[in-house]
Amino acid sequence: MQDVFSRVLDAIDIETYLICESEDECKEIIYGILNKMGLKDVSIVFIEHNGPGARVRARGYIHKPGDTYGWLEINRRADGQ
Amino acid sequence: MKKKVLLVPLDPVHDIGLKLIKKGLQEVGHSTILLPPDLSQEEIISKIIESQVDTVLISRTLGYGVAEVLGRFIDLADAAGLRDNVRFALGGMAITPKLAAELGFDAGFGPETTIEEAIAFVEGREYLPDQKRSLKVKRDITSKYDYKYKNNRIKKLLDEITDQILDWTADKTSPGVKRAHIREEIFKSKNDKDKAELKKQYAALCDSSVKNHYLKGDLHNKTRLLTFEEIRAFDEYINKLKKKMILKTIQKTEENPIVFIQYGTGCPFMDIAHIKLAEAWGADGVIHFDPSWGARTEGFYEGFLTHEEDGSVITTENLFKIKDCIDENVLWQVRAHRGVNTPETVVIAGNAGADLTKINIAYGSLGGGTDPARLTVDAVEAIKFAAKYKMPFDVVTNEELSGVPAYKAFAGMLIVTNLALRLGAKPILQPLFCYSPEVILGGQMADNYIDFNSAKIYGLREIINAPIWPGAPIGFLTHTEDRIQSSLTTALHAALASSLKVDAISISSSDEAFSGGPITGASRIDTLRATQEIFRFFGHAEITPTIKAREWADELVECIEDVLIKVADKGDFVQSLYDGLLGNKEEGAYPGRAGKNTIIKI
Repeated sequence: MQDVFSRVLDAIDIETYLICESEDECKEIIYGILNKMGLKDVSIVFIEHNGPGARVRARGYIHKPGDTYGWLEINRRADGQ
Repeated sequence: MKKKVLLVPLDPVHDIGLKLIKKGLQEVGHSTILLPPDLSQEEIISKIIESQVDTVLISRTLGYGVAEVLGRFIDLADAAGLRDNVRFALGGMAITPKLAAELGFDAGFGPETTIEEAIAFVEGREYLPDQKRSLKVKRDITSKYDYKYKNNRIKKLLDEITDQILDWTADKTSPGVKRAHIREEIFKSKNDKDKAELKKQYAALCDSSVKNHYLKGDLHNKTRLLTFEEIRAFDEYINKLKKKMILKTIQKTEENPIVFIQYGTGCPFMDIAHIKLAEAWGADGVIHFDPSWGARTEGFYEGFLTHEEDGSVITTENLFKIKDCIDENVLWQVRAHRGVNTPETVVIAGNAGADLTKINIAYGSLGGGTDPARLTVDAVEAIKFAAKYKMPFDVVTNEELSGVPAYKAFAGMLIVTNLALRLGAKPILQPLFCYSPEVILGGQMADNYIDFNSAKIYGLREIINAPIWPGAPIGFLTHTEDRIQSSLTTALHAALASSLKVDAISISSSDEAFSGGPITGASRIDTLRATQEIFRFFGHAEITPTIKAREWADELVECIEDVLIKVADKGDFVQSLYDGLLGNKEEGAYPGRAGKNTIIKI
């Protein structure tokens, strides 16, 4: 699984609509989803609750600027270094 | 009691929010002090002590490390003994009441905060939202039109063709027309025994698959009945949801068109879920899409049916359930335009409380798959029902998508429009805003999408004073699977529609070009938000087409007249459809076969 994530340039965004009572509940649910996906460094980029639920864009960072980039490691391995 | 308020821009750049609040507070008599943006936290604390204010309003956009800065500020205020006598509120992008409370503030205000809300906090009273913010009223888009023709030559031709149609259909009926009348009787009947007898008569006029549904309980193989438990759970969910629904408004100005979305996920419950979120994000109307096989099958099934593919099955139960869930201030259209159940669809929609329907003989028989003769007979009756149930209907020109040139599609649309006026109905013109085969081959949109779409509106307005509702959806064939591109092209077409001052538009979701599965709720919100934003962007400003728009409009009107002359000369509207005068096989229009040879002589 790590290898798959290592190809992500920087982050994975999850965009969806959640049926929920409030933005707070939406946050709880979306963090649960991100957690289930194994994403650790997570943020909510955008959230708006109206009526039946919330439109949400949540983000799990895989590589932040200055990290050791997995995709570079894979590239080096592919070159036999 | 008047208050003294200190306004503190902790944000290094943006203090416009505070300036607006300052103005609002002053207007109602409070005194205010706005600090410059470059003070240290300690200097701000000193200013609070010096000025002896009652309230401190801090503006700060949340970003990296900002929460720590704000937390420290509150600690300093605590240490200075200010918290007992001074109330602190925090406002700005990404600020929520919960976050502000966690940081120790007395209140938190996000970017949607109104001046009234801030004043209420300063005055220490509960904020009661202005009910007008959520007020949405159904608009009758036909009410301001007199349907007077501006082109009398075209009116004369249309009157001749209307006479042809009414003469030709006078001694004819069809199983579809008969079913529609039986359906009306079923609605009127209070007696179960009578109803059962009527249903027997009804079943005898249906295709074998539907007949077997009534006789043996068979269902279409891609449908299932929703269970009692599912229906009960859904009713509970909806009843709870209805109590907290607030309808948003997309329009910025009174000239922005009303906005319809189309639904038809296959499942009435998923449809309703989509309708509710579309209402919450500002849709003014919703349009029911049924499956294509439903339009080719004689007769309707019964019960709460869900369908595993696109298009939600029309049954009395499904439509009544959907109507029950739609907000009373949101318009509802049920399409009847293209199949062998056209008159009965209008009857069910009318009884269910639909506001609008959709009928077009030319499209339904040249692009929709129904035999021209059959649809002509059925549509005349359907139009009479639409008039009876006071449902205006749009006359859609989707045959353009098969390759029929706009002028021919418009000639067909105007024929049905004039027929509707003769029968006492209220038609709405529905030109397409699309990147059609005609313009792809002809190059009319090689430079821009504005001129040819504008020409359509200009041309129609040169002919008749009637409501115009471009569809369906606007920007058809300009969408890609990318949600940004898709939302943007919808919004830009909405801006053009608004600039042309049309009455309504139908918009797609940002999944318009995706064919791999059902549309998602999130994708519906994308285009509603994009449309709202473009209305905000343009306000009363307008898009200016080039000179080509007027030239093409004049050409369109001339070509429409030429087509109408040919149809009038032929003396037989139905034969004109078969003969391709309103769209031929080379152009991609094929007379439909559903319902062929089913006309009954009276």
